[in-house]
Amino acid sequence: MARHVLSSGSQSALREANSARLLGAVRQFGGITQVELAEATGLSPATVSTIVKQLLVAGIVETRSTTRSGRRAQMVTLAHKSGLLVGAHIGTRALRLAISDSRFELLAERTLPLPSDHRLDTTLDRTALLAMELVEGLGSTTSEVLGVGIGLPAPVDPTTGMILDEGLMRGWADVPIADVVSSRINSPVAVDNDANLSALGEARFGAARGFRDVLYVWASYGTGAGLIIGGEIHRGPRGTAGEIGHTLVDPQGPICRCGSRGCLDTRVGAQALIDSLRISRGPLSLSDLLEFASSGDPGCRQVVADAGATIGVAVANLAVAFNPEIVVVGGELAETESIFLDPIRAAVNHRVLITRDDPLEVRRGELGSLAPVQGALAMAADLTHVPGGP
Amino acid sequence: MTAPPLLRMRHISKSFGAVQALINVDFEVKHHEIVALVGDNAAGKSTLARVIAGVHQPESGTIEINGELVTLPRTAIAQAHGIATVFQGLALAENLDVTANIFLGREVREHGLLAEEHMETLARDYLERLHARIPSPRTPVSHLSAGQRQCVAIARTLVGDPQLIVLDEPTASLSVAQTAEVLTHIQSLRGLGLGVVFISHNLTDVRAVADRIEVLRHGRFNGTFSAPHDAYEEVIAAITGATTVRN
Repeated sequence: MARHVLSSGSQSALREANSARLLGAVRQFGGITQVELAEATGLSPATVSTIVKQLLVAGIVETRSTTRSGRRAQMVTLAHKSGLLVGAHIGTRALRLAISDSRFELLAERTLPLPSDHRLDTTLDRTALLAMELVEGLGSTTSEVLGVGIGLPAPVDPTTGMILDEGLMRGWADVPIADVVSSRINSPVAVDNDANLSALGEARFGAARGFRDVLYVWASYGTGAGLIIGGEIHRGPRGTAGEIGHTLVDPQGPICRCGSRGCLDTRVGAQALIDSLRISRGPLSLSDLLEFASSGDPGCRQVVADAGATIGVAVANLAVAFNPEIVVVGGELAETESIFLDPIRAAVNHRVLITRDDPLEVRRGELGSLAPVQGALAMAADLTHVPGGP
Repeated sequence: MTAPPLLRMRHISKSFGAVQALINVDFEVKHHEIVALVGDNAAGKSTLARVIAGVHQPESGTIEINGELVTLPRTAIAQAHGIATVFQGLALAENLDVTANIFLGREVREHGLLAEEHMETLARDYLERLHARIPSPRTPVSHLSAGQRQCVAIARTLVGDPQLIVLDEPTASLSVAQTAEVLTHIQSLRGLGLGVVFISHNLTDVRAVADRIEVLRHGRFNGTFSAPHDAYEEVIAAITGATTVRN
């Protein structure tokens, strides 16, 4: 990493390299004691102590007294005196949760695999416990949490913060999710759809930065879109804006979870993709399917490419109707890169109206699976009017 | 045409005096598959794990590994067949560091001396493969949290390139953040192409990572379920005996 700096041999270059190594370890662990830092970096305890002092003066790290195995120890974390933000994405099969400082520097992050059709009470309980545990791991208390943002894979009513429809997340409708979590963590909580939050994340920190009109596509267990119009997320009065997973693609198709016939998700939702490989590969998980596609398995590749083409048509139609400056694609399916993205590009650029002068750019998101979490952090910050955000 | 399963056990019975721990149990694990074994206390879960690990000998029944009939009279022989087990107690040596624990009893030697550096490199590699958050392979185990210890115990199973990992209650008494890490490690094992037997009481954890759930009740097989498709209630009904399978 900093080896070329080391070879110059000067004292200050060495110190810089050592402090970069030390900061790397602090980032990886969130909170780590000085003794552990010496073990993790291979630096001497004296060197660790000197560097920590310098970083402390510069305001880059903070130290707190703690105990390890009954002994007093100095816990080192990145500076977060101005408070903490919590961002969570409660996905279909995983809970991803991150803690950042008020400048969106990630301090701690965890992923907890979730069962299919996970239950509201268990999952919200685990979300609150995980947030509290990670905050405590930073040597802080929940009183330092400024705000919590939560993303969910279903449309969220912007006025009530509740999930709209029983069919999309079984057992999650009509529950004031923000209140349930807020009563546990004791700070303001906001809830939004994960595609909207991913769009917000990419607009603030990632591939959509600097654009005013963005069509963001989140292709995961289901497909959704986040629409940014004039720099603002467009949700609609019921929060269903961008739900392209429930637009009609097959008038003769099966009935979707939402109750309508022939939705996009009945063709490209995770279950539909996995079912189409049942004869050739047997039961698979979505991550298996995507991994096999990336490593060149022809059947899996074709399933992902066909999904790209089908989603591409829905995206192209929406792009014609709403004329975005850019299309950004994220979610698990986008991890297969061009296998999934090229068919979307082809479909979008078949529409003459939007590509008359220049082709409409279809970009992969930069934040990967963290996009909804980053968006949730941004929403948490907006909730508390934290200054200093980008 | 299809390859034989990694592990196939047929008609396994085992009793301890008057206690029939396992009665005519069939059990299968494929490569790249996580099979959960659930059931009440004394349902026979741990006994089955110990039979797989070579600790207990079944009174009847057959065991095949990759289609080959084997006997597992000792743990060392089970290990030689690529079976690695983490029991509930973990059995880590508090006073030793992470590397020494991972290679305990199976130290790598060069010219009769311990190959310390080589073992440390390997230990680092195992921990990386599991995406572990452990400061260093030289950290003493007494400094680690419960979740980190579980991770060391899982890393220990990777010594000698196993094919099948048996984990007995790996998430019992862990916090949510630690459970998150251990479940992620279990998914990583599957990602490495290994077969995993995951024994647990916690149906949320089981359904989060398993492909298939096998239910034992009073030593008898009582149903097989698809983890992503079948509902909690069906699995719970089988555990409690509200539904039974005739066999």
